[in-house]
Amino acid sequence: MSDSAASEPRQQRSETFSRLVGLMRASATEEHDWDAVEPGTTTESLGFDSLSILDLLYDVEHEFGVEIEAEEVVEAKTLGDVVRLLEERGAG
Amino acid sequence: MSARGRTSRRVVVTGMGIASAIGIGEDEVWANLLAGRTGIDEIRAIDTSDHKVKLGAEVDSEALHARLKELRLRPVDRAHDLAMVAGADALRQAGVVGEPPYEPLPIAVIFGTGEGSAESHWNGFSAFFEKGVKGLRPTTVPRCMYNAISSGLSIHFRLEGANYVVVSACTSATNAIGAAFRQVRDGYADAVLCGGSDGFFDPFFYGVWNNLGVLSPDPDPRTACRPFDAARQGTILGEGAAALLLESAEHAARRGATVRGEVRGYGESSDASHRTQPSADGQARAMRAALDDAGITAADLAAISAHGTATHANDVTEAASIREVLGDAVGSVPVVAQKSYFGHTLGASGALETVTALLGLEHGVLPPNPNLETPDPECDVRLVGREAEPLRGDFVMKNSFGFGGGNGVLILARAGAPDRS
Repeated sequence: MSDSAASEPRQQRSETFSRLVGLMRASATEEHDWDAVEPGTTTESLGFDSLSILDLLYDVEHEFGVEIEAEEVVEAKTLGDVVRLLEERGAG
Repeated sequence: MSARGRTSRRVVVTGMGIASAIGIGEDEVWANLLAGRTGIDEIRAIDTSDHKVKLGAEVDSEALHARLKELRLRPVDRAHDLAMVAGADALRQAGVVGEPPYEPLPIAVIFGTGEGSAESHWNGFSAFFEKGVKGLRPTTVPRCMYNAISSGLSIHFRLEGANYVVVSACTSATNAIGAAFRQVRDGYADAVLCGGSDGFFDPFFYGVWNNLGVLSPDPDPRTACRPFDAARQGTILGEGAAALLLESAEHAARRGATVRGEVRGYGESSDASHRTQPSADGQARAMRAALDDAGITAADLAAISAHGTATHANDVTEAASIREVLGDAVGSVPVVAQKSYFGHTLGASGALETVTALLGLEHGVLPPNPNLETPDPECDVRLVGREAEPLRGDFVMKNSFGFGGGNGVLILARAGAPDRS
């Protein structure tokens, strides 16, 4: 993570969050009000089950250039949890 | 349900849905059929600059995606998406589903498809060849399985009867409707959602068809597909889906459902001779079996909805098999062909043309074959030409024939037509 990004954690998180929502929207099989999605929204409520969450992992790794274990994504219940995982890996 | 497998029940159609290049929904499709308006145009989905043929009958993606959104679905695979929209319309029209959340229903799903989840296969192959095995999505298996179509309908609408697909090239949908008809008639199911779906405008699947040599090189979308015309040069591909809810007449009556038409008979056969060259003998056996199954004779037919692909091999062989089966009635039974509108939707074509045959029986009209200017003398049957004709009578025979030599034929009836069996 660059110095400028570290000094702007809110903006960084917001951008990561937006990119994550974009990925989820692209691979989701169900329609949702994507503008209303928040960090506290669960992946399950957006239709991601034990199988499709692996697809999301695939998209996340390719988009952010990081490696995350499947178990970690399965344990991340909310979008905020996934964003934290990404930020811990230095995604950006 | 009693006496499973030992009953013989009337099978009625209580809901129909259609998603095609000439419209999504039966009203738009019927209006375009009567107007002689083709859905064939320059292909937009892929770059066809290297292809000999650049035409196809594509479904309006914007309209399709809007319908998916109404169903709270997102696009996942073209054949799946088309089936979801057509299936939803059939289920809603029949009055068995309303708005979500859906209640579980004891309805089976049997759908035909020729190319299955073509889009997902293309995406999978592309990722594999670009990035190797690491490029493959974890969900490639459920995306690519052909029964993603039937299971998608079952899961979304909570239909708890059996669900599977029938894969038999261009006969797929007719085989699927035939299988569904037998399930209901023989007492194995009270209601089956059946039909067909195919969507394959991607560089690989369109490419292999382009190289097969059966597509028309005529660059004019209005005239490129000309079933039974002396100047025909081949077929044009199309994508689409159609769905029908079949029920036993008793089941429909108990629900107070409106009957749109009936399936009265079904026959099937194999040429057992060649992978791509059709056989008049094989086709005639399927037609006779269907007539026998319905308890009617060729003279009882009000019309035939031909397979009519506009290839030389199909049209000449089909005309010969029709002549053989109709005998003395050949001059009095009109033959319609509709691939000049929908393109050849392969494994879905039997379903699209079954829906339009039932619409024809309801309206008492045979839509025109707009490109039939000079009937091929080798196709000596009573062809409907460039003007619509009245449809008088109770029964229409729907033919479908596929690569691999499989033949499927349905006998469709006007709602309330007398039982001749």
